[in-house]
Amino acid sequence: MLEVRDLSVKYGHFMALRGVNLTVQPGEIVVLLGANGAGKSTLFRTLSGLQRSSGGSATWNGTALTTGRPEFNVAHGVAQCPEGRLLFPDLSVEKNLRLGAFVHRRDASGTARELERIYELFPALVEKRGAPAGSLSGGQQQMVAIARALMARPQLLLLDEPSLGLAPLVVEQVFQAVQRVNNDGVSVLLAEQNAFAALGIAHRGYVLEGGQITLDGPQQALMTDDRVRSAYLGV
Amino acid sequence: MTIVLQQLFNALALGGVYALVALGLTLVYGVMRVPNFAHGGLYMLGAYLTYASLDRLGVGYVPALIIAALGVALLAALLERLIFYPLRDAPHVHPMIAAIGVLFFLEALISHPSVFGPDFKQIAEPLPGILNLGGVTLTWQRLLIIVASLLVMWGLNFFLKRTLTGATIEAMSQNREGARMVGINTNRVGMLTFAISGALAAVAAALVAPINAVTPAMGEVMNLKVFAIIILGGMGSVPGAIVGAFLLAFTEVFGGFYISLDFADLIGFTMLVIVLAIRPQGLFQRGT
Repeated sequence: MLEVRDLSVKYGHFMALRGVNLTVQPGEIVVLLGANGAGKSTLFRTLSGLQRSSGGSATWNGTALTTGRPEFNVAHGVAQCPEGRLLFPDLSVEKNLRLGAFVHRRDASGTARELERIYELFPALVEKRGAPAGSLSGGQQQMVAIARALMARPQLLLLDEPSLGLAPLVVEQVFQAVQRVNNDGVSVLLAEQNAFAALGIAHRGYVLEGGQITLDGPQQALMTDDRVRSAYLGV
Repeated sequence: MTIVLQQLFNALALGGVYALVALGLTLVYGVMRVPNFAHGGLYMLGAYLTYASLDRLGVGYVPALIIAALGVALLAALLERLIFYPLRDAPHVHPMIAAIGVLFFLEALISHPSVFGPDFKQIAEPLPGILNLGGVTLTWQRLLIIVASLLVMWGLNFFLKRTLTGATIEAMSQNREGARMVGINTNRVGMLTFAISGALAAVAAALVAPINAVTPAMGEVMNLKVFAIIILGGMGSVPGAIVGAFLLAFTEVFGGFYISLDFADLIGFTMLVIVLAIRPQGLFQRGT
């Protein structure tokens, strides 16, 4: 289980996160709602080891994630699919995926099995396996980004704004894919501005504002909460 | 016709040497985003290590080449740790100035009378003699340069395209943050890339040393040329470095032949100016 306690992150004098508390239980999809600049990406970067924390703790099944070493976090079952995807545009789709399994580089047969599973999960990628990742459509690139994170065989998937810049129909496909991943037993922490779609597949949710958690609750409670409805659902 | 073929072989040999040196520079730029102005110094050091291995250790030419490649690779990796890594978050100018400092340091060190001294050194050709192909004469050394440089380029391409470690170098040059995110240790990739660039420069130096004199200043001239080449090809581009290298070599050799040998360098750089005026991003840079 992911346990974030009193986590703070500073950029110089600016407090990007102030004492965030959050949990993700095994098998859950937890959505993190928040506007631009609320601190969602900072939280994700900290959980994946790209950003150092200045206070508090974040652990996955008891292992500290605030190491500042992404390779450690990936190897311990926490993989991130970042905002903006950060693919390797000139490398083929398959090479992007194989690099996603970099932490399992000594386990070639395991990676081969995982690759086969990924192609079952994202059949649209099979015919694109040889194409440069940068040549794919936005939705397909998002699939590659999720698939690349899954190649690390994570127990916890950190998904940062997967719907950004995608057409509604494609967003739906992406969220269906997330749900399939979750059905396979991967816990998901999902940051979204597209609150409606995200809440649709989530078990629980948190609202992050100005670097602090201001609201949390199960899916139904958030869906019907007036503040959430006016701020994030636009109704 | 034979004379054109003759020049063609000369250009191929020169282009092979340029390509090996330029490839290392472009790889380092791609991965570290730092123009390594000390690269010419590594090339020069490769030549001296070859000379020292032959002259002082008394080993054969091939072992000398391998010693030079390994020695310079080690030094280049050390350079990354001691100079470029500590300056990774500093303003861009700092690592550039540091690199120029390294270049001058290496030159001064080699020129010191108690090391090798300022005078030029000569390396005997390992395969003396010439090959006569229907009127086209070719020294064995030039043929060796052409064959060896193509082999090394093929090997590098195999490494980059077919191995996972090679893929980490390409991945890091295309998206550094993405590379960190999948768990690639970017420090290790940086050191490895520097080591490869050093080894390539040393191999090029060892190959060309028998037909050129070995001098402390040889790195500066090469520096200027390979920077021109990777700017021409597109900074960080591997195919760009190879195409740029052969383009410069052909321009120099044929320009020198048809116009005047004294102007060979001038013609090469004129070509660079013209290409950059038409295509400022270089030949192979993606339009981003």
